[in-house]
Amino acid sequence: MVDKSQVLSLCRSLLRAGRKYPDYNIREYTKRRTLDGFRMNKNLTDPSKVEEAYAEGKSQLEVVERVVKVYLAYPPKTKNIMELKLQ
Amino acid sequence: MALRTAILRHLRVPVTGSNQSQTGFLGSIRAFSSHDDHLSKQEVVDRVLDVVKCFPKVDPAKVTPEVHFQKDLGLDSLDTVEIVMAIEEEFKLEIPDKEADKIDSCPLAIEYVFNHPMSS
Repeated sequence: MVDKSQVLSLCRSLLRAGRKYPDYNIREYTKRRTLDGFRMNKNLTDPSKVEEAYAEGKSQLEVVERVVKVYLAYPPKTKNIMELKLQ
Repeated sequence: MALRTAILRHLRVPVTGSNQSQTGFLGSIRAFSSHDDHLSKQEVVDRVLDVVKCFPKVDPAKVTPEVHFQKDLGLDSLDTVEIVMAIEEEFKLEIPDKEADKIDSCPLAIEYVFNHPMSS
């Protein structure tokens, strides 16, 4: 059975991995999607369902880490307007 | 008019902060300085409280330096993770999971950030 600290640790790993995207839109999407995904499943009680969701999260973490590498190889040439500090 | 649109279509203005180069020089000097520029307790308290107040589910009026995220602000463990991650970003820290699990209130967050040598 997956315990609470493992789930929170997976959530943290996903948020950390997602922060590495050089592209603002992807970075924000990953953050939003991660938190939404965990909230969506926060009431799961059936251990097999929890296992399943946890495994899904793990595989998504691998996807994020893989795709970050691609994005880092081809970073956006300009910054997104949302990243600019208002003077 | 046609010329204007044709030019505009091919014009790309790269967005680079012009003040980046100004701080670059000063920034490299600060990197060698010792702990003189370490954050003061009051600054840490203010910035941690700002992060917590900016959290959408939190009523800013309820936030004090003594507040507990789950007991006083009615947040759940996921919200706590989110706040701790936001504090990490604010102070440019990396808090290990073991420590991050323990941070569940403003006093603990303030203490951790204040005692961390790398917080800025």
